[in-house]
Amino acid sequence: MASVSWFYQDGGLRSVISVEGVVTKKYFNNNLKILLFPSPASAWKFRVGTRSPLSKPLSLPCIKCENTDKEDSFKQVSVERFPYHSYMDSTSGQLEPASGARASIPREDFWPEGTSSQVRADRAPEPKGVSTGKPSLGKKPGSRRKRYKSSAAASKSSELSMVPNDAVETESSEDSPDEAKDLLSEFVVYKTEPEEEELTGYELDKKIGNPHPFIDPKAEKPMEEPLSNEELWWNWRKPEKEQWSRWQRRRPDVETVFLKAMAETGQIKLYGDEPTLTECSLYRARRHIYKEERLQEEQEKLERVGPIAYYSEWVEGWKRDTSREAVQKHFEETGEDENEQLVEMFSHQTDREFRIMMGTDNRIRRDPLAMRMREDQIKQIWGGDPVYPTINYIQDPNAVIDFRGPDFHEPTPDMLDYLKEHGKIITREELEKILAGEKTEQVEQITDIDEAMARAVDIGENDDEGEEGEAEEVDAGDEKITRNWSILKSNPELLKSKGKPKKDSMSLDEAIDDSENLTDFLLDFEEE
Amino acid sequence: MSINSISPSYFRFHQIWNPQLLQPISLRSKSRILVPPRATAAALVTDEQLANSSDLYPMSASSFPLFEPSSPPQLTPASELELADPDFYKIGYVRSMRAYGIEFREGPDGFGVYASKDIEPLRRARVVMEIPLELMLTISGKLPWMFFPDIIPIGHPIFDIINSTNPETDWDLRMACLLLYAFDCTDNFWQLYGDFLPSVDECTSFLLATEEDLQELQDEKLASAVRAQQQRAFEFWETNWVPHSAVPLKIKRLAQEPERFMWAMSIAQSRCIKKEIRIGALVQDANMLVPYADMLNHSFQPNCFFHWRFKDRMLEVLVNAGQQIKKGEEMTVNYMNGQMNNFLMQRYGFSSPVNPWDVIQFSGHSRVHLDSFLSVFNISGLPEEYYHNSKLSGDGDNFVDGAVIAAARTLPTWSEGEIPPIPSLERKAVKELQEECQQMLAGFSSTAGQDQQILESMPEARRTLEAAIKYRMHRKLFIGKVVQALDIYQERLLY
Repeated sequence: MASVSWFYQDGGLRSVISVEGVVTKKYFNNNLKILLFPSPASAWKFRVGTRSPLSKPLSLPCIKCENTDKEDSFKQVSVERFPYHSYMDSTSGQLEPASGARASIPREDFWPEGTSSQVRADRAPEPKGVSTGKPSLGKKPGSRRKRYKSSAAASKSSELSMVPNDAVETESSEDSPDEAKDLLSEFVVYKTEPEEEELTGYELDKKIGNPHPFIDPKAEKPMEEPLSNEELWWNWRKPEKEQWSRWQRRRPDVETVFLKAMAETGQIKLYGDEPTLTECSLYRARRHIYKEERLQEEQEKLERVGPIAYYSEWVEGWKRDTSREAVQKHFEETGEDENEQLVEMFSHQTDREFRIMMGTDNRIRRDPLAMRMREDQIKQIWGGDPVYPTINYIQDPNAVIDFRGPDFHEPTPDMLDYLKEHGKIITREELEKILAGEKTEQVEQITDIDEAMARAVDIGENDDEGEEGEAEEVDAGDEKITRNWSILKSNPELLKSKGKPKKDSMSLDEAIDDSENLTDFLLDFEEE
Repeated sequence: MSINSISPSYFRFHQIWNPQLLQPISLRSKSRILVPPRATAAALVTDEQLANSSDLYPMSASSFPLFEPSSPPQLTPASELELADPDFYKIGYVRSMRAYGIEFREGPDGFGVYASKDIEPLRRARVVMEIPLELMLTISGKLPWMFFPDIIPIGHPIFDIINSTNPETDWDLRMACLLLYAFDCTDNFWQLYGDFLPSVDECTSFLLATEEDLQELQDEKLASAVRAQQQRAFEFWETNWVPHSAVPLKIKRLAQEPERFMWAMSIAQSRCIKKEIRIGALVQDANMLVPYADMLNHSFQPNCFFHWRFKDRMLEVLVNAGQQIKKGEEMTVNYMNGQMNNFLMQRYGFSSPVNPWDVIQFSGHSRVHLDSFLSVFNISGLPEEYYHNSKLSGDGDNFVDGAVIAAARTLPTWSEGEIPPIPSLERKAVKELQEECQQMLAGFSSTAGQDQQILESMPEARRTLEAAIKYRMHRKLFIGKVVQALDIYQERLLY
């Protein structure tokens, strides 16, 4: 039934008409311009009824809650399920369920081995029927057989069973010979099967299905005091150790284990049992710094003492004097370079010493603390035998590895100063100095054509442009004087003096004084 | 049925035979011998022959089927029997043993396994029962003694007893000890299953037989063998359960009286399956007491066999491939192939008149031509596997059964290439052999008929006594059958 309401804007008939009846769509479209709420029902029944037009127009204010005169304001959809449950799938060409169901179970031929026998065993029906005998548990073998001493007919006649027989499939039990024997052999007959009592009261109610309380009132016990929060086993307290998951414990990385080991051997003192995060990072920082310091020391020692003296630490067989003076003396005597002397020294080194020096020997323990760690501690960090692993390497798979250095928390240093400090960057002047010291011949770059032409006449002379604005320092002392043939180069003040008047306007005399020869005044050659 | 018209002189035999052979004789409380269906025209055959099967009624002179009173349709061996106690299967089902399409029935002669529905002949053997290892009692056949499942705790004195047995010959003593121990183990399956085993008075094994029964055997060799067995068992009990009063109670309570031990021995001997099984990677001979599979009876044409599925350690009982089984047919297994009746008697406590491996010792020099004997009865196959070729003989020839096959094996025969038998010589040989048989029959103190009557006259006899009487009756029947077969051979010689 579709309820229709339409409003006349002209103040005329306003009515709510319920339309029921079988009306064709065409009729609807042509004849009735009605706003209909689409209905899920496939068959529409309409009852066309009209009300008598009112005599006077009603001017009641109509409160429109929402915009209902539009058709698609909302679609009335029922909460029923989709109308189909399976459809013919276009891709596979087979019937497919509408909801996402699993793929079909394959046929028995495709089952893995043993499945079919298992399935068959599970499908086997359970044996029905109630037995009347009782197991004797090994005391009386054969007691539950049906004995046919006499012929079958005779034994079927008498029935003497203690328990009423409810069995549907089995025929009546033949206990009579058994009982006859029992009666004869024993004076007192014990009732092995207790009689079933009649149920009364609560039990009866329960069996029949009458309303009954949950607990048998006879067997009911009064409620005890509820447990306090501490006693409840499901009480959501944090455990004392503040760990409710094993994943929360200190991850056994190197610092933790080392710290713990060191604490155990008494080298350091921890605040508690396990090293805390702070202690770990402190340890890390310290270790980093110690390492750096140590490396720095070593480097300094190398520089101070000289390579031969430094490396002689690892060459036991070298007994000669290794000081710088001795090396120098040796050099003067034999002409062997420092390197050659080094090589000779190393030829006295043994294999083991070499390995110690290089630090690549597995057999030689390097870390004194690692030597002192217990096996389980070592295993915690580095795991057990990689070939036959015995424990699981406990790791947090989601851990984010921390590559930060010990001074992470410090403010970001000024990179340039930092690099300069550490000697990773040098200034341009220094670079020039070094380069100048090194190079023997330099190919200049001539940027100005005038200068090029001017110099071009200058045979054999290398002009330095000087536009870079850098003064070349010529080490007059020990440095090799490679440009003795260049007056200009060897006299930098000449160059400077030349550079200045270029920019300023000078008088003729000064210009003539400045010029080397008359060709300086020849400026434009292209014009000709 | 055609035999009746041919040899009226042996009509009485046949008359006596038929009801005998068709009501399955089970001499052990659980064992029954199913005479091969061909010879007995049981109801397993097609319907038009059903009307012919006046199996339960004495054979009348005429063999016209129309005059026979109509027997109820679908009379199967199973329908006379009752279903066993439902707990019997239930205790196994709960412990993941399964039986498919079969049911356990009990009759006057004990338990039997019957098909509850038709089984199609497929190319694959069908599983009928599967029993998991946990329910069985298994001892490995050789040192070291391994028990599956391992119920004997370390240090239990029963293990010392088992260890003291001879590894080669005393397997039944070990099994008996294990069985008794299992009865004593709490929560052991055999405590429940033991109630369905044949008790002392139902067991037909001759370990429990008295002297009287042994006399009834009328076979001295067998009697003495049985006595030796009894002696051995009793001695074993004596050495281990009696002497020093310091026998621990753990042991003492297993077998307070020697009878219990003898009973356990008889169960072990008669129900043990000796099979080569593979457990894990180890393949070994094992003696197994399997709970439900031991309820299968014996037949010389079995339709089931045992298979060990090592994947989940189950013993499966499978129906022969290509074997059509009708509803109600009994499931049978061949216990031991190639043994005479006296061995079957000694070990299992039953005998069969149609044992194809039975042997008669002929002492004369007369021989029968083998090929013509075989062709007369349409027996084909190698000497080890003689079988009655029903395709050659067509329907209706029910004379050839296991006894005739045994005759083919035991009769002294000659066969030399293409030399044909000379009928006169053959007849002479046949006559001599028949005379020998008659002498043997006369040597017995009673005839088969008399034995039958004795059996019928004492329905309440002890099982062992019954078994003994049946044993000698079967022997006589067998010899009689041999005589009959020789007669037929003689007549058909000139075919």
